[in-house]
Amino acid sequence: MRFMMLMIPLGYESAPPDVQLDPERVAAMMRYNEELKDAGVLITLDGLHPPSMGARVSFAGGKPVVTDGPFAESKEVLGGYWMIEVASRDEAIAWAKKCPASDNEIVEIRQVQEMTDFSEEVQQAAAGFSELQRGARR
Amino acid sequence: MRFMVIVKATTRSEAGAMPSTEEFAAMGRFNEELVNAGMMEAGEGLHPTSKGARLDFKGGEPAVTAGPFTPATDLVAGFWLIKAASLADVIAVMKRAPFTAGEQIEIRQIFSAEDFGEALTPELRAQEERLRAQAAKS
Repeated sequence: MRFMMLMIPLGYESAPPDVQLDPERVAAMMRYNEELKDAGVLITLDGLHPPSMGARVSFAGGKPVVTDGPFAESKEVLGGYWMIEVASRDEAIAWAKKCPASDNEIVEIRQVQEMTDFSEEVQQAAAGFSELQRGARR
Repeated sequence: MRFMVIVKATTRSEAGAMPSTEEFAAMGRFNEELVNAGMMEAGEGLHPTSKGARLDFKGGEPAVTAGPFTPATDLVAGFWLIKAASLADVIAVMKRAPFTAGEQIEIRQIFSAEDFGEALTPELRAQEERLRAQAAKS
């Protein structure tokens, strides 16, 4: 089963575009990342620039409306993620517990949808999606 | 540049409602457009937070809470990883995404090694590159 470990750093919703990282924390995270990789559970990982550098597109009335970040209405935003392959939700939680996260950080565990989670009709409509993804990665 | 396009959750996605065959087909066509434009790296949907968990690291020892979580507008329902020359390019293509009223996406730039500056020492950078290469292989 694939799971996302979503890193939610409280306060990141109002971080400036040139947010500074602590080298010691980066090193600690790298050791954790290495541990995930050595265990063969790591699929991929990324860190995200603050929302103050991003944008949102809302499809309220059919017509897309673009808003620049930061987003005043947000209490929590994503700071980064890991995608892991594990046997169960419990195993995903056990890995998240080992994360060298700070006091202000929350890690959310979410299972990734697989094609087999959808109805047969939807699977037929989406035929070729997996091939499309594999092709995109090349 | 790489971007994460976060599909924000709605009360509908949080209720576990699966997209209809028509919606799935429309999204498939849009994904194909992204692949043909050489922009798509990955795209995934997540199971609702009712099946997820959160680990809060306040106070050191992580406290585990089972989902669901609120408000839906702060939650993630799915995402794309997109390659593009600029944020403006991502916004332009995402305006054409087949979303319906009430749906919202958030576009966030992904950190590259260069963005970390001095926090990422040459040793850490080499470690990061090795890790990424090995994770991609598995």
